[in-house]
Amino acid sequence: MHGIHEQTGALKKRFPHKSNVLLVNITRLGDMLQATPTIAGLKAENPDCKVTVLVEKQFESVCHFIPNIDAVRCLDLGMTVRALAREQDGIIDAFEYVTEFVDELRKEKFDYCLNMSSSAYTALLLRLIGIDNNGGWTSDDEGNRVIESDWAKLFATSVFHQNRQLNSLNLVDVFRCSADVEAHPKQLLIKVESEASQVARDLIAEAQFTNTGPLIALQAGASQEKRQWSPRLFISLVRQLLDRTSARIVLTGTNKELSILQPIVDEVNNPNVFVAAGKTTIPQLAALLKECQLLVTGDTGTMHMAVAVGTPVVAMFLASAFGFETGPYSEGNIILQPVIGCGPCNPNKPCAGLECHDTISPDIVAELAVQRLAGEVHSVSSSIAPPEQVIVYRSFFDKYGFCDLQALNNPAVTELSRYRTAYRKLWLDDLGGYPELDLDAPTSAPSSLLKFATPAGEGLDQVVLGARHGQQLIQELLQLVGDAHSSASRLGEVNRAITDLDRQIEQIGYHVGGMGPLTRMFVFSKENLSGTDPRELASQMLNIYQALERRAHKLALALSQV
Amino acid sequence: MSGFEKLLEQMRVDWDRRIAHDYRFWMSDGHANDQAMWESGARDFEIITAGLQPSSSQTMVDLGCGVGRLLKTASQNFGRVIGVDVSAEAIEKAREFLLSGPEALRNTELHVGNGSDLQPIPESSVDVLLSFAAISSIPTEVVGNYLREMHRVLKPDGVARLQLYLGLEQTVRREDTLHLRCYRREHLEEALRRAGLVLEGVTELVLPIQVSFKEIGIEAVIASVRRTDRQPMSAEEISAALLPDGEPIEGESTLGNDLEYWMTLNYARELAERGDLDRARETLEYAERVSHTTAVDVGDLMQRIVAKIGSSEGNGSKPASEVAKCNDNSSNPPVQIENSGAKQKLLTRFPNLQSRFSDSPSAAKIEVRNTEEGPVVIVDGVALDHASKPKSAARQWAKQAMGDVKYANCQELVIVGLGFGYHIEALRELGCDKPIHILEPHPEVVEAAGAGRPAAWIDMISSLDCGVDAAIPQGSTVLGGNAVLEIWTRAQTQAVASEFCAKIRSKFYGERGLSLLRPNIGVLGPLSGGTLPMVPYVCRSLYGLGQRFREYDVSGFASGYDQVSKFVQGKPRRSSVENTYCEMVSQVLLESINERPVDILICMALAPISPRVLTELRKRGVITVLWFVEDYTRFTYWKETAKFYDFVFTIQKGKCLDAMRAAGAGESHYLPVGCDPGIHAPLSLSTEEKERWGSPISFMGAGYHNRQQLFASFSDYPIKIWGTEWPTCRPFDHMVQEGGRRLSPAEYVKVFNASDININLHSSHERDGVDPFGDFLNPRTFELAASGVFQLVDHRSLLPEAFEVGTEMATFRSAEELREKLQYFTAHPEERAKIANASRERALKDHTYQARIRSMLSTIFSSRFEQLKARLDASPWQKVLARAKPHAELHSRCEKAFTRGEEPNLDGLVSDVVAGNGKLSETEQKLMFLFHVRKQIIRMKEEESGGKS
Repeated sequence: MHGIHEQTGALKKRFPHKSNVLLVNITRLGDMLQATPTIAGLKAENPDCKVTVLVEKQFESVCHFIPNIDAVRCLDLGMTVRALAREQDGIIDAFEYVTEFVDELRKEKFDYCLNMSSSAYTALLLRLIGIDNNGGWTSDDEGNRVIESDWAKLFATSVFHQNRQLNSLNLVDVFRCSADVEAHPKQLLIKVESEASQVARDLIAEAQFTNTGPLIALQAGASQEKRQWSPRLFISLVRQLLDRTSARIVLTGTNKELSILQPIVDEVNNPNVFVAAGKTTIPQLAALLKECQLLVTGDTGTMHMAVAVGTPVVAMFLASAFGFETGPYSEGNIILQPVIGCGPCNPNKPCAGLECHDTISPDIVAELAVQRLAGEVHSVSSSIAPPEQVIVYRSFFDKYGFCDLQALNNPAVTELSRYRTAYRKLWLDDLGGYPELDLDAPTSAPSSLLKFATPAGEGLDQVVLGARHGQQLIQELLQLVGDAHSSASRLGEVNRAITDLDRQIEQIGYHVGGMGPLTRMFVFSKENLSGTDPRELASQMLNIYQALERRAHKLALALSQV
Repeated sequence: MSGFEKLLEQMRVDWDRRIAHDYRFWMSDGHANDQAMWESGARDFEIITAGLQPSSSQTMVDLGCGVGRLLKTASQNFGRVIGVDVSAEAIEKAREFLLSGPEALRNTELHVGNGSDLQPIPESSVDVLLSFAAISSIPTEVVGNYLREMHRVLKPDGVARLQLYLGLEQTVRREDTLHLRCYRREHLEEALRRAGLVLEGVTELVLPIQVSFKEIGIEAVIASVRRTDRQPMSAEEISAALLPDGEPIEGESTLGNDLEYWMTLNYARELAERGDLDRARETLEYAERVSHTTAVDVGDLMQRIVAKIGSSEGNGSKPASEVAKCNDNSSNPPVQIENSGAKQKLLTRFPNLQSRFSDSPSAAKIEVRNTEEGPVVIVDGVALDHASKPKSAARQWAKQAMGDVKYANCQELVIVGLGFGYHIEALRELGCDKPIHILEPHPEVVEAAGAGRPAAWIDMISSLDCGVDAAIPQGSTVLGGNAVLEIWTRAQTQAVASEFCAKIRSKFYGERGLSLLRPNIGVLGPLSGGTLPMVPYVCRSLYGLGQRFREYDVSGFASGYDQVSKFVQGKPRRSSVENTYCEMVSQVLLESINERPVDILICMALAPISPRVLTELRKRGVITVLWFVEDYTRFTYWKETAKFYDFVFTIQKGKCLDAMRAAGAGESHYLPVGCDPGIHAPLSLSTEEKERWGSPISFMGAGYHNRQQLFASFSDYPIKIWGTEWPTCRPFDHMVQEGGRRLSPAEYVKVFNASDININLHSSHERDGVDPFGDFLNPRTFELAASGVFQLVDHRSLLPEAFEVGTEMATFRSAEELREKLQYFTAHPEERAKIANASRERALKDHTYQARIRSMLSTIFSSRFEQLKARLDASPWQKVLARAKPHAELHSRCEKAFTRGEEPNLDGLVSDVVAGNGKLSETEQKLMFLFHVRKQIIRMKEEESGGKS
């Protein structure tokens, strides 16, 4: 078991004490692995806490290899969807299944739930189960999605496509903070049983390698076709690795990926390339990765597994993948992020060009692999990896235990990277309570109106003005609501003015580069207003405008420090 | 004689009898004349041989050839043709048609078969064996023999094409030679296998008449069969494969064994209505002979039908009395009825009869005759109970009726027809303990029944009503109560009071249908034109009646249609393209209905739907309805399309209805247009509106020929004319308003309300001014009436039955009379108001679209109740509702979705749950959960393939 990172005691917590937690992590192996630091942290901070995980039925077996889980509840989505597809009485079957499922979960009397799936159905399910304290997504009485904690709102803000590049907080940390977890192992976790290790060793023996160099795992297949680095490039990479390190290459993957692997095997035609794809279960793959000295991958699923068993990775973040967001959550890994106008792209859109794949040559990957095999890499020559083409990062943990990426090949500082750094400071300070930005410090206080020469500066000014105007409107609203003789028409006017103002603030985020995360957090906060009492609502709204102004100031301060 | 031989004999006797009676009726659907029969034979030959390549070197056998309907065409396609039929009468007739005279077919031979084999046809000698409309009426035991014989006579590569019914197994009595048998496909396959044959394929049989009944799982098909080298098993083994449980022996089923009788009765009525009285009489006599029951005196029936036809036509057909003579079998003299206080007993028991008795008596001639079993009441010469054995016949009738499954399932009975009450007593004697309600058309019969014999029946019934206005008692199921009611109409009463019975039946099934059947009703409007606004009126009416409906608004396609004339000017080419366009719109509709099925499709006049699509819909069991709200003499496209509709409703009577029937419409009925009180209503208008829309006299409508002629001479009047297609020249330039644009209904109701006098002149393309022969009423008549405004309408022959002329409607018959009336009514505003009020009252009472649609549905429901009920029972919603029962809120939500006309799927159930629109109940949350689960899974699947370029 890896050691737990010590608490600094700084993280602001909504519900510090938990005894019976439900973690909703429905559908992906990667998501489950990424939740392991949070689960371990929950246990470390609440030793008697019971942790139940809710997963889709087909991922149930995966949970057996995740440490610290006390119970698993399975939702059979496949059966549900098949019943619905049958229509007619299939709907009743599905309805009765849900009823039974909800009744069972209600009996568990969970005191806290963390749902980091933004899906509408998990939100509704949690509403049905009725857990009082939530850290992530749930639903209100009317079926609208509600995001309970600021960290979860940040999660939603960060994955909002337009804002992705302005985020440098690994989603593992955002997830962890949503659950008020500060103590955590600085890596993902998976159990590797001895049987699985034996199978892995047997597989390696079966390979009958003639080389004696490092054992390198290569994940050539990817979950999405557009993230699939060309077999042609892999062939070149494999040849170089064989030539330069006398490597023993293990091609990992699933049965489905054999069609990608076969051309590589055929073309390279070397006894030191062994196909393990389709021959391993999940724990066996983990064990196999553990045996390897390095994983080279374009797929995040296998990458997370290697990280969980402590094997260093050289990972390509192609197409929609973004290293800051879902990069390897442990120290010392190498990340290659293409520099290209269209990336990271929208995961839901197909791509006909795949130009980003050409920014990473097999030579670069081979060189980085060789370097990493030799030890920690702290710098990369820009002649090997031109920074205008690809940025090479190394993963590490900052002083608060948050994963971060350090550029190794000297890329130029850009507006984007400045904002990314500034936002990191903002969120750690404002949401986490870590002392990054002190607005009250005499030397750091920005001017009341932020006079930036850039368009972004103008955007901040507009945000601050908007936030202040909002506070004035709310003050007037509070007066009108409190006065029985107030004019109904004025009340209507104020309401309309608030609606208009909110739209303007949201639009600043769309129009002015760098403002997106600030305004998106504001929009999510407004969307999550709850209650019917006008005074209570007005008071919540006032807080939201105040937070917006405060964060704008903090962002200005952070930018000035970068 | 063995059982099997008896069966063969039964086939021979039955078919000889039928052929002798009317070979066209029993052997073909084209029974109007021989020519029609040969045409249908040629058509069916084409269908059954589709894909084959007949040649002059081939031998063909027609099994069950009848009178040779298919053989005439077959002889032109094959070298040698052999017809086989069990009926000697049929073969004799076929010889007469095909083998005699100068045009005798030289390549055709005919054989009377023994019913069990194909002797004398030699082995392996036949290339093609056909059987059309025969096998399904042959007892299954015999079919086994024939299949074995097919293997024997077919050449090694020979094929058979057999028309039969596949789907849900339909068994009939073993010796039944008329009802259709339907086999399961897998059973047929096995039977053919055992017969050394193989089923190569099955295609659906599609004819202009409905032959498949998919809603109850029966499909008419042509089976393609080929001979194999396998040796056939025994005929018994083949039959056993075809119908593993065998056919029930005689006597096991009760009602329904008189199909032949009822078919004949209907045919007789049809013949009588057509004026073919001789054949009608023969047919009725035939019906009497084949009847398995003594409950009905067919002689009386015929007398009544014939008398009715004779009196109503009087145009050269035989006088009724002359025809009726042959049935005058009333040997007993009339008796006088002594009223022994029984009438008083009746009135005490049923006070409602007081007013019925005091109504003016019917014109019917009532008399009573004695028989050995008691007195019999006779109305217009028709005995209402059996003319000689009223008690025995009543008992038999009651026995049969109580054996019916409907009797078992109902809680109360309504019987139309009292007679002398023998049937009521018989029901009670046989143990019927259900409440009985009696409706009798003739009050005189009730009086006579009360007085004519010991009135034990009076205490055996729960209610009694009589006279033309007699109605099913309120509070019973169909009319708002809870009991499950069944209605039986006595055949004798049907004969003497067919309209009364039809009205009761229509009311019963109509009302029951409205509350019970809940079919999904599609409403298809035209692309454009004056009928378009009626579509929402129809839909609102359906909504008001609590019906499930779906509007097909195709008006969006109109602009595309209109574009055609921009590009193609020549009429033939343009018409061709326009038809193609309509065919495309039809296909859109068909696909829409495939996605979300309907049970009934109401097409408004000029709706763009092609015969092909109508045929497709009928194949799916959809009842097709045309509301032809146009002048049938002006728009004549119905001549080609009426035959594709099960119901045609017209706004004209008489010849129009006949013409629709002659053009092949399943049923045709009169149904005038109406008003929608939600739109056509009195309005309070502002001064500006009055100024804009108002005038002392107005006319609203398009500038048809006769209107231009008339209004040109009224240019000295303060008239405002609204509507399209008016000339822009003088004198119209000052009369026509707002450039002659088309007004919306909401606008023209303002015109109505703002005008002192609204002229309503029906359109005519040929005549000037008022059409003296105009019959139907235009929508404007009812719309103006419902708007509570005064209208002066040109006289129409159908007006007096809709409005009382003088008090409810003011009319004119000429331009001169219009001038006079304009002058008069201008000077008498109070009289205008009075008529307008009366007119509105009448319109709201009798002429709303809701009343029209109720009437339309009643007609459809009363005629197609069982079909729609079967569809309802087979509807997946039934299963959903049953399964949802334990979950009260879900069940109620299912009910609502069903009523909205939704499909039984998740989208249908949640279509009214809108997130963020009020608090969601737990059930709604669960349904939305399921909704989003499905959405998410679909999205994830898309995402997985998202990288595909």
